[in-house]
Amino acid sequence: MLARHAEDMFWAGRYLERAEDTARMVRATLLSTVAEPPAQAIDHMQNLIRTLRLEVPTPDEDVQTMAENLIPSPPMLRSEAGLGIDVQAAATRLVASPSLAGSVVFCIGRTRENFRSLRDQIPSELWEQINQFYLRLRREDFATAMEQDPFQTLDFIRVSCQTLNGVFETSMARGEAYRFLVLGQNLERALMTCRLIQTRFPAMDGSSYDEMALTLRSVSALEAYQRASQSSPLAADVARFLLVNDSFPRSVLYCLRLSESQVEALAHNGKPPPLRRLGQLRSGLEYADFDDMAANLPAHLNDLESGVREAADRVSNHFFRNAEAFDLHSQAISPGASL
Amino acid sequence: MAAMAAAPGFFDEAVDEHGNTRDHYQPVQEWFDRLTLEQVRDLEEQRNESFRRQGITFTVYGGDEGTERTWPMDLFPRVIDAEEWAMLERGLIQRVTALNRFLDDIYTGEQAILHDGIVPRRLITSCTGFEREAMNVAVPLGARCLVAGIDLVRDADGAYRVLEDNLRSPSGISYVIENRAAMTKLLPAAFADLAVRSVDHYGRSLLRALRSIAPPACGDDPTVVVLTPGIFNSAYFEHAFLARSMGVELVEGRDLVVDDHVVAMRTTRGLERVDVIYRRIDDHFLDPVVFNPQSTLGVPGLMAAARAGTVSLANSVGNGVGDDKAVYAYVPDMIRYYLGEAPIIPNADTYLLWEEDQRAEVLERMDQLVVKPVAESGGYGIVIGPKATDAELAEARDKILADPRNWIAQEVVNLSRLPAWAGDHFAPRHIDLRPFVLSGEQVEVIPGGLTRVALREGSLIVNSSQGGGSKDTWVLGDSGQRDQAAAS
Repeated sequence: MLARHAEDMFWAGRYLERAEDTARMVRATLLSTVAEPPAQAIDHMQNLIRTLRLEVPTPDEDVQTMAENLIPSPPMLRSEAGLGIDVQAAATRLVASPSLAGSVVFCIGRTRENFRSLRDQIPSELWEQINQFYLRLRREDFATAMEQDPFQTLDFIRVSCQTLNGVFETSMARGEAYRFLVLGQNLERALMTCRLIQTRFPAMDGSSYDEMALTLRSVSALEAYQRASQSSPLAADVARFLLVNDSFPRSVLYCLRLSESQVEALAHNGKPPPLRRLGQLRSGLEYADFDDMAANLPAHLNDLESGVREAADRVSNHFFRNAEAFDLHSQAISPGASL
Repeated sequence: MAAMAAAPGFFDEAVDEHGNTRDHYQPVQEWFDRLTLEQVRDLEEQRNESFRRQGITFTVYGGDEGTERTWPMDLFPRVIDAEEWAMLERGLIQRVTALNRFLDDIYTGEQAILHDGIVPRRLITSCTGFEREAMNVAVPLGARCLVAGIDLVRDADGAYRVLEDNLRSPSGISYVIENRAAMTKLLPAAFADLAVRSVDHYGRSLLRALRSIAPPACGDDPTVVVLTPGIFNSAYFEHAFLARSMGVELVEGRDLVVDDHVVAMRTTRGLERVDVIYRRIDDHFLDPVVFNPQSTLGVPGLMAAARAGTVSLANSVGNGVGDDKAVYAYVPDMIRYYLGEAPIIPNADTYLLWEEDQRAEVLERMDQLVVKPVAESGGYGIVIGPKATDAELAEARDKILADPRNWIAQEVVNLSRLPAWAGDHFAPRHIDLRPFVLSGEQVEVIPGGLTRVALREGSLIVNSSQGGGSKDTWVLGDSGQRDQAAAS
């Protein structure tokens, strides 16, 4: 497979996953704010923005500046608490703003662009689905729909993403294109779950059920968690579930395993650098003593996040920027051979 | 809904001079007559939705609707009966065979046709499409026009004429196939019993032709790729379509490297050798070493590799000398010279403006003629005398006087007409036809081709870049095939 196409596929997977995760997280956050006092709702929205790594760093982490960077000021509505961030407006921007790098519309646009340059490689059904989805998101009334009917709009996004997943799972040959797509998707998913725990773990300290539920809902894990654990949840249990559960498909361990098996299938011989890094990360989580880890969770999460990012870089360097010397002439006819 | 009377001065494809539907249009005409306004609107809506969903689009440079527009396909198909097609097929094979021979003669042969004075030497050496870089670069099987698109029109008497040859990167075949796919979904019943000949096999035929020109030394399983300028090119959709239908890689210049005269592509497994390149990049952007040094679309060293014979390029470099509109005037002579046959499909009447007496006549009659720049394609730069303003005529006149070699004039061909949907009824619109001809082990014509239609009333400009549309083109099987279809 062409290195450029492989890279497009990898990024299509990442963007698609990012869009779906963002929609899930925005939905969980909006849901939690329905019955909450404004100050707490704003807290949650800020945590979400942090999880998505969309905050603009400022010297003093000034809340006001953060909100204004996210939401352009003229139409900015001020909440009653006077803190200057309107939760619904922020949610709309996270989903529907084409100019915000990382918004759902932006990510789906990028997914489509990447698939577009790969039209000869992907099933036409997949192209039709992403195209239809994108055209709907780009309709003029989309931002209004998100503002007036956020839950229905977010459900539409989730279902459309799931349809895309279904289309490629059921129609793509398990060749390189498929594997790079799944690899990109799972690395992005691992990162998102990891970042979610990073921002949500401190918030869950009070062991309030609502806080736990918000965390779990953000990755659609509430039902799976309740089935797996009947005891009343502690923050550490939720973190353990999201990090090392071996059957929940959005746990970091599960995503790393899936990524590792894609790279294993893609590597033709030996253990190339991305495979080694993924193997280390995976076994580190798999054999870790979680209680030890919980004692210093923020530091472990930082290491894990940068480890996953490094694995993604190694995938790029190994598969896409492949500059390894290759003797063309071992399979070449000699130049000037007559016809 | 589609009734129309024959008008003097034009040939109507579907009705004869008495206003009766021609035999081969009978079933289609009856089928469309039964449609109500609502049904047609519904079909139009379904068609647009389907093209939009599939992203079947083309790009209009400088258009104000953004870069992507859905493909305009008119519902009323063009029908060509078996006998008429058999004649066209013979004529097209004859023409492309002669053009291949001509190009081979010029670039790797003895230039016999110039020595014998059939084609003036100065015409060739002054041609912008004549590439010195292509001299002595051999092409296996002499299949230089691997894909040719020959534009045909019908004059007032219904006789087919060749309007121009496209021997460089003719586009449109993907729309032929997508039009057919759309029509079979929208109007399955209209095909009943007609044994319309299939166009689906194009990808296979193209791949076979491309593999047949692989350098002999590369073995039995040559690697073929399609080379595209990239996603922003107006024909990108077609490039991707072709790569997909052949099952080969769609590469850009930056995916290829040349090392010691061998071309390879960058893959996830390192470099992989490439044997045949179906390139959809113009000659001048192909290789910055020998052509435009500014080009970032091309591959440095590609021409040297082609010259060394380690890679084959299709279409061949330098084909512009064959579809130059002044050289076009000599194609009938080429057919007689190389094949010893009389041309089956004649040219449109053409004046060469570098010939003093012809130029004088043309300058006097400019308001009655069509003048064209010789090296353009896509309808750019054409001035249609009867429709042009005085200022446009004066401007064209100045350009001709400044550079007579690069202009030709033709009598206005009153393109034949066929009903097309005009918002609330079917009305006659002018059409042409671009059949696609493949050269490999043998020369093959894909049944039908791209029928283009000028959707504006009275307009003669059918190019999609100039607001034209298209129609599905049905070549009917012979009577044996029709009986079979009726029986099944």
